[in-house]
Amino acid sequence: MLSGEFHTSYAGDMGIFETRRAGWLLAAFIVALFAIPFVAGSYWLDVANRAAIAVIAATGLNILTGFTGQISLGNAAFLAVGAYTTAFLANHGVPFLFACPLAGIVTALAGMVFGIPSLRLKGLYLAMATLAAHFIIEFTSSHWEAVTGGVAGTSVPSPRILGFDFSDDRRLFFLIVPACIAHLYFAKNLFRTRVGKAFVAIRDQDISAEVMGVDVFRYKLLSFAVSSFYVGVAGSLLAYQARIISPENFPLGVAIDHLGMIIIGGLGSVLGSILGAVFLTLLPEVLRLATSALSGSFPHLVQLFTPLKGAVFGLTIVLFLIFEPDGLADLWRRVRNWFRLYPFSY
Amino acid sequence: MKLISSALLVLCLAASAQAQQEIKVGGIFDLTGITSDVGKPYAQGVRDAVAWTNENGGINGKKIRLVDVDYGYKIPEAVAAYKRMTGDEKVIMINGWGTGDTEGLKVQVNQDKIPYVSASFSAHLTDPAKTPYNFFVGPTYSDGLRAWLRWVKEDFKDKSRNPKVAFFYGDNAYGKSPIEAGRRFCKEAGIDLVDEEIVPGAFQDATSQLLNMKQKGADYAYVNVTTTGVSTILRDAKKLGLPTKFGSNPYGFGESLPQVAKEAAEGVTGVMVDVPFGEDVPGMKRLVDFHKKNHPDDTHDTFYVRGWTYVLVWSEALKRSDKAGKLNGEGVKAAFETLKDFDLGGLTAPVTYTSSDHRPTTTVNIYQIKNGKVTKAKQYEMERKPEWLGL
Amino acid sequence: MELFLQLLINGLVVGCIYSLVALGFVIIYKSSGILNFAQGEFLLLGAYVFLAIVAQANVPVVPALLLTFGFSTLLGLVLERVVLRPLIGEPIISVIMVTLGLSSILRAIVQGIWGTDTRPMHAVFSLEPIQIGPLPVARGYLYSAASVAVLLVALTLFFKYARPGIAMRATADSQQVSLSMGISVRRIFALSWSIAAVVSAAGGVLLATMRGGVDGSLAVLGLKTLPVVIVGGLDSIGGAILGGLLVGVLENLAGGYLDPIFGGGVKEVAPFVALVLILMIRPYGLFGKVRIERV
Repeated sequence: MLSGEFHTSYAGDMGIFETRRAGWLLAAFIVALFAIPFVAGSYWLDVANRAAIAVIAATGLNILTGFTGQISLGNAAFLAVGAYTTAFLANHGVPFLFACPLAGIVTALAGMVFGIPSLRLKGLYLAMATLAAHFIIEFTSSHWEAVTGGVAGTSVPSPRILGFDFSDDRRLFFLIVPACIAHLYFAKNLFRTRVGKAFVAIRDQDISAEVMGVDVFRYKLLSFAVSSFYVGVAGSLLAYQARIISPENFPLGVAIDHLGMIIIGGLGSVLGSILGAVFLTLLPEVLRLATSALSGSFPHLVQLFTPLKGAVFGLTIVLFLIFEPDGLADLWRRVRNWFRLYPFSY
Repeated sequence: MKLISSALLVLCLAASAQAQQEIKVGGIFDLTGITSDVGKPYAQGVRDAVAWTNENGGINGKKIRLVDVDYGYKIPEAVAAYKRMTGDEKVIMINGWGTGDTEGLKVQVNQDKIPYVSASFSAHLTDPAKTPYNFFVGPTYSDGLRAWLRWVKEDFKDKSRNPKVAFFYGDNAYGKSPIEAGRRFCKEAGIDLVDEEIVPGAFQDATSQLLNMKQKGADYAYVNVTTTGVSTILRDAKKLGLPTKFGSNPYGFGESLPQVAKEAAEGVTGVMVDVPFGEDVPGMKRLVDFHKKNHPDDTHDTFYVRGWTYVLVWSEALKRSDKAGKLNGEGVKAAFETLKDFDLGGLTAPVTYTSSDHRPTTTVNIYQIKNGKVTKAKQYEMERKPEWLGL
Repeated sequence: MELFLQLLINGLVVGCIYSLVALGFVIIYKSSGILNFAQGEFLLLGAYVFLAIVAQANVPVVPALLLTFGFSTLLGLVLERVVLRPLIGEPIISVIMVTLGLSSILRAIVQGIWGTDTRPMHAVFSLEPIQIGPLPVARGYLYSAASVAVLLVALTLFFKYARPGIAMRATADSQQVSLSMGISVRRIFALSWSIAAVVSAAGGVLLATMRGGVDGSLAVLGLKTLPVVIVGGLDSIGGAILGGLLVGVLENLAGGYLDPIFGGGVKEVAPFVALVLILMIRPYGLFGKVRIERV
């Protein structure tokens, strides 16, 4: 039983783990995570890979929207930029270890370009600008056939490192999940640094931040860049995992899904990105299992599955926003504190 | 105690025997996406035909289990469904749907040796040198377009010049599938292709595209989308008072067209692969009987019939491969290639597959809407040219 | 020249429908500061409900229209009370997400009940076009232009002279002051959502009648109205109308002239390019109120 922490140094207070026990528990969890490919079937590995990719993308969005307060509806577009860049590079023989980071950098640059309106626009208007960015990028990806293959899409060869071919979901798991963990670690650390604190200052009260000496425009652009790098890497991994990409992989619904993930998970929290992304990736799968189990008695359910998916998604968002506006991360915190502080209430 | 355990054992054996007696076939359908207007009746046709087959002896006594899913015409969903069906469910073959996803999966299907029977009639799926595991039931989109162009040439009464034709097609693999073949055939047949208009996947208004076409003065236009899009174009054309005569492809033309487009559909022609529902041909009896017994209040159309023809063809292939003792992917593919002039009772033209040519038939029927009803206008036997294979 | 004129006229009349939906957006934003991403779904529901009443209950057109409006009023009231009320004071991103979630739910309900087929719409007016000069124009477009004109006049008068209208403008300016003056802010919110739903339903019925059928793609219009309201100004009714016409014309001209060069798709992306440009030059739109920020 734990009732509060007691730190004796600044480093201890700023550490990622509040207690040493939390650190050990996390290590154990990661070990368990790597046991999954040995027990799960190929379909569930596909789900797991997609969830991990979503975690990276959601974390990127959270950096931009949750921590810096810049609302962005352009996540699907940046995912597309990362994916198509990777497809282009991979099809021209660039190996995975170069193609993936390069795609991230290209997307970061694209993110900075679309971040320029943030100098003049806030809130709603910035959301509109990013929405427009989405449609413009969608148009480009459908029409720039030389690079993207147009509407028919393009196929991506499987990633190879030193001759080892990651050709199926089982092997890709060992590529995607470590990348995910690395990105999460970086994000968690980011908000212990000066840059991260500048981001948060901009979100809270940007005019005061400017007054205090934070170069708001520069840090806003940096936030767009970092966030887009994450999303670009996610897009790159998505290209390798899906093997065939086309503009249909990146509809506006994906951006809305990602926003839903960080809201359900918790804005401004790395744990929230993880929880939200995993939750929203697993939700349609659970729904599918439920409908196929019940379809014996209700044969019409197969046809209703798609609208049900939409309805459940919408309902989840609305209910979370009404009853649990701080998201799953906050819920988790409360549950954990209840266990930690038992029998005290605070 | 002994009784219970032996009863349990018998039950288990029966269950496993039952499972062994099942043949799993995957079904990837569009029930809610942009082609669901034709996808839903097709899916119902497939389901009904599977039920009828199971009631009438199954596959040499074994029952077919259709593992079906709705993918909403989204390629990523189709890919996920494919992974699930081949990885988890271990289906022996798949009855697929759209051009985009079928062409996207063709490499994978080839690697995994899963016979893939698609509702897509794309000619890009007919060359066994490239796509040995892809099949479909009907003439290719390209042959359909060529036959329609031939009809145009015959229908155009002014002998002083070539008829002017425009192509309307959707911005996707399905829309673009026959266009190159159409362009080349126009040159060969002496038809002036004056305009090509692209429409988005789902659209409510085609006025600006039609106005463009009007400027180029097209006498005829071929619309390569599904029935909903065709109705929108027909209605918009009527509003603009255009004299152009319209035609459509096997998924844009059916009994529903005159119902939605009403008087704008009069005189429109189209490629019909299967007969309208209820047509007086010997094969129609079992469909009508099944319909009367199970859902007498529903209406059906030619796409429902199409679903039936598919099941009739692939269940025959399954029967043959089962008799040969090779109930696996390669065996089923080989069985398909033994089908020669396989008769479907007049529901559609007889189909033939060989190991060098997966074009099932080159017979194309052109139908026309007269007085709100689809009636047969002309039948064309297109030539089985080797240079047209795969185009 | 004839192509240009025809595209222009077509753009103007399509723009009338955009204006109708944009009006709903603006009314909600003007009184409660919420941007309703579910506006397209109000349009969709209005069209489907009208079709259900006319086709299945065999009610003649005018009473069916009134019934549809009644349904929309109820819908607006319920949604405002159940969903939006708890979110007063929450950050704007939550509000945006709630309306996005709502749009998902509404679309799913429509799909679940009525499926995704195109259902043929009974002809409310004939398909025969009327000649304006050298160009045939669809009758339905003219009716929608007429309805928009009527609505514009009615709403302007409403906001200028009628008591609830003035109350709505007051609430938009400052909720606290309005409350202290005795205006029931809750009733104002409810009223604005109902009006917006009714206006959208009218747009939906008109659009469906012109297209001859009802299907899920009607909701796409909701997204298209975003450029309209930004161009016109989020809190200006006149701006919504003008913005709708402008965007309609822009779309058709861009589609007519640029589609052949780019191979299609320009029609859909042109309004969003315009959106970006307006946001860079005049973020508050042509007629919107400029917000000055002070610390």
